[in-house]
Amino acid sequence: MLPANKIDLKMVLWVVGASLLFLCLPQLLPRFYVYLTALVLLTGLLATSLNVVLGFGGMYQFHHAVFYGVGAYSLALMLTKSGLPAWTGFAVAPLASAIAGYVIGLICVRLSKLYFGMLQISLGSLVWAVVFRWYSFTGGDDGIHGIPIPKLLSASHGAYYFTLVITAVSLFLMYRIVNSPFGRTFQAIRDNPERCEAIGINVRRHQLAGEMIAGFFAGVAGMLFVAVEGSVFPDLMFWTLSLEILIMCLLGGWFTFFGPMLGAAIMVTLRTFVGIYTEYWTLILGIVLMLLIFFMPDGVLGMILKSGAGRRKDSSVVTKA
Amino acid sequence: MLEFFSHIPVTSLLQQILVGLSRTTILFIVASGLSLVLGVLRIPNLAHGSFYMIGAFLTYSVAAFVGGKAGFWVALAAAPAGVALISLILERGLFCHLYDREHLMLLLFTFSFTLVFGDIVKIIWGSDFRSISTPALFQGSFSVFGLSLPRYNVFLLVIGPLVALGLWALTRKTRIGKIARAAAVDREMVGAVGINVSLVFSSVFVIGCFLAGLGGALVAPTQNITQGMDHSIIMEAFLIVIVGGLGNIWGALLGALIFGLTDAVGILLWPQFAIVFPYAVVVTILMIRPKGLLKSTW
Amino acid sequence: MKKSFWMVVCGMLVIAITACPLFALDPIKVGIVDCYTGPPSTYTNDVRDAFQLACDKINAKGGILGRKIEFTTRDSKFKVDLGLSAAKELIMREKVNLLMGTINSAEALAISDLCKTEKIPLLVTFSKSDAITGEKGHRYVFSMNENTSMAGKAAAVGLSKKPYTKYWIGGDDYEYGHAIADGVWRNLKKLKPEVELLGQTWWKVGESDFTPYITAMLSAKPDAVIIATGGKNCVPFLKAAETTGFNKRVPFYMHTATELSTLQPLGLDAPEGVLGTSNYFFYYPETPENKEFVKDFQQAYGRPPKVGALYGYITAAFIAKAYEKAGTIDTEKFVDALEGMTVDSPVGKLTIRPYDHQVMFPMFMGVTQKAPGYDFLIASDIVTISGEDVMPTIEEIKKARGQ
Repeated sequence: MLPANKIDLKMVLWVVGASLLFLCLPQLLPRFYVYLTALVLLTGLLATSLNVVLGFGGMYQFHHAVFYGVGAYSLALMLTKSGLPAWTGFAVAPLASAIAGYVIGLICVRLSKLYFGMLQISLGSLVWAVVFRWYSFTGGDDGIHGIPIPKLLSASHGAYYFTLVITAVSLFLMYRIVNSPFGRTFQAIRDNPERCEAIGINVRRHQLAGEMIAGFFAGVAGMLFVAVEGSVFPDLMFWTLSLEILIMCLLGGWFTFFGPMLGAAIMVTLRTFVGIYTEYWTLILGIVLMLLIFFMPDGVLGMILKSGAGRRKDSSVVTKA
Repeated sequence: MLEFFSHIPVTSLLQQILVGLSRTTILFIVASGLSLVLGVLRIPNLAHGSFYMIGAFLTYSVAAFVGGKAGFWVALAAAPAGVALISLILERGLFCHLYDREHLMLLLFTFSFTLVFGDIVKIIWGSDFRSISTPALFQGSFSVFGLSLPRYNVFLLVIGPLVALGLWALTRKTRIGKIARAAAVDREMVGAVGINVSLVFSSVFVIGCFLAGLGGALVAPTQNITQGMDHSIIMEAFLIVIVGGLGNIWGALLGALIFGLTDAVGILLWPQFAIVFPYAVVVTILMIRPKGLLKSTW
Repeated sequence: MKKSFWMVVCGMLVIAITACPLFALDPIKVGIVDCYTGPPSTYTNDVRDAFQLACDKINAKGGILGRKIEFTTRDSKFKVDLGLSAAKELIMREKVNLLMGTINSAEALAISDLCKTEKIPLLVTFSKSDAITGEKGHRYVFSMNENTSMAGKAAAVGLSKKPYTKYWIGGDDYEYGHAIADGVWRNLKKLKPEVELLGQTWWKVGESDFTPYITAMLSAKPDAVIIATGGKNCVPFLKAAETTGFNKRVPFYMHTATELSTLQPLGLDAPEGVLGTSNYFFYYPETPENKEFVKDFQQAYGRPPKVGALYGYITAAFIAKAYEKAGTIDTEKFVDALEGMTVDSPVGKLTIRPYDHQVMFPMFMGVTQKAPGYDFLIASDIVTISGEDVMPTIEEIKKARGQ
């Protein structure tokens, strides 16, 4: 929903400015920062995909990393084992994650809140355990390294531009989905599932669809991870990573569309630079998280938008009244 | 099914089951504390594993400080008490302000404690492995019908039911237990009749964490006390609580039994994928009974 | 007046800028990515501390080629993604000359792959995967520690001299455990064809109570048992062995059983008579070099060095000597110099095999024993199995690489 032309223009300016900046980035910054930006983008995409079901759907998606891992592993296995052209791998990866989302969703959506989350954690851990253990197929705990990525991507800023374009397209698609009639119903379900049920909305089916969408885009993020890093390993679908993505959503603000992206950016950058000076990054993260929950439960972007809401009441980015 | 077992000697199956049971004890003690906190306070306490780890490390330190034969026994009393004290401070200082928040917030809040405690343990106790001796009374093993049973495991088998009984008495027979159960069902109602709910919540939280510390203290003589103990126990404890039914103490016992035994038997049946077993069992149970085996307090 | 003042300032600046490199060449920068949080840190801290010790010594003597050697560490927390991005940060941002680490095999393999494309030497310390210098070996990766196939071969050489024929194998059900067990068994079968495998037991990662497995293994009545467990599992395993009387009924071999990191925490609760292999003991070999190293390490850190300290120490020695030999800090020349290089170490002369870049470590096999003067068990009856004997053959490496 883009109600006024004024906002449209503003948005367009923002988008054009941002894309120019991102396109020129490799010319402006040293190589490491370009890599870091790619990492931020793909992690942000992952967090945003989680937020589709978490912030907009109100579902306790506790083990989102599974879909990320499934996407990454699908691409890695397609590239190393299948012998098919590389592009098929890139097509299969998000689909595999969407299917994983469908299967896990099918089992989980009957439950709500904490039960949903815990069942998902057990299912996800099951997938993790199989990947961790199946040496002949997934490489087991050692993972798969030196994945043959197409020349176009492994060349100097190929992976960055690929990540940039795919992330931008994915974000656009997710934005459209969230603001589509489906997205609105989805948010209505979050706010009041009983009433939605009563007026004849199939809550389960909507949640299942949401799960598949979230899975799909998490798979895209996993695919990008492989393009950037060239490795896969079982850590990609361990439950602690899922909690980290949750923290990113909280940090940025999970009732906003771009919050998780901001959260991921803050987290990845902090992790990298705090890690240079101290090995107590987790301690710092823990304290930051505590302060955040106490003083800024809406997240950084959520708070900025809230404080700005006085001036600009019709903010189309804030989704929750 | 019997055919499936036929290639495994009966003695090793029995052996496996007995040791599985003593592992159940630890799992039950930890999970019951988690279940208590979850059931009454509605806090999915990820820091529970950290309390377990701190319990084990405190046991090591106290036992080393006191020394001699009495060391472990003093530690067994002191370490859980120390953990309870820490949890009391946290509850009064921090958690009590957050009771009305969403579960997800509480979950992440407790996760922040696991992060902080993980590093604090590293700062205090360093990175070397720690180990304490099995108490002199329980060194060696019993031999029964050709089975060799370590004495300490037998001790654990006795402790488990005792703790279960104690918890049962606490929730059914004491005033605070009755209020806590009532609060688990309807928090506003209990507050409305003029009972100091926050005192009850505080005690329940402390008792729950005490149990985590007790689990850590009991496991200390059998394990390598290291960083990372928190991660390995917390997921199991959560799954047990979910399988058993949120907030149900007997559910925690049942869940722990299922977990301990499938693990032990799974190792014999299909060792290559033993790591998958507990998760598979939990998934199966939840698919059939989505709200856990026993009645949840939610 | 004013003009001449600026002239002087400019002149001084020019002199300063041009003269600077004459006084102090850029230091040689080493980046270490390793896990300093969690159980593995008990091993990795020693690598770092001994490396520090060696660097201080080198710098006190005037550095390498007139350059100071510096290093910086990154804690990967046993997470591959953190390790990988830290490695990229070190290469691209810190612009390190070479990388060191890590104890996590998946991480070591991932970083090794990165180093292959970035053309940065990686000196692996502590990851025991034999794929690093075997299947996945390349020009820029070197292994500064023993690996699973070396441990397996060493154990096989030692065990083949014992009178046992009926064996049982038990181990950690993950890559490391299987690799060790497989290495021992394959080589033992080769050296002594009459050996017989009665059965196997595998326990899951994170297993903490080994009693049921031990009793199951004992009930099969083997002559000896091969235990393929590692890391933090060693401590509880030996404890369970003592409780069940395993060592008194059937002899067993466990790689790293005799290591200080395993035996020290157990104090006098560890079982006696357990066969183990290790690269290093602070009390053996009793050479002046080792005594001096132990004295220095003890003085600096207030604790005796563990096996990781040897790895850290020799890595510094190799780096220094290779740069001296290359005569420049050029990476390609450094790699060329490192191939086939020999250094003096606390355990005698150590050489990097040119073909696969693996340091040829001798392995010490001993049995645990109480000893006067120690409040923990130490290894005794130590037999040295030479580096040449434990190395996989070049044919085996070629086969692993599919050549």
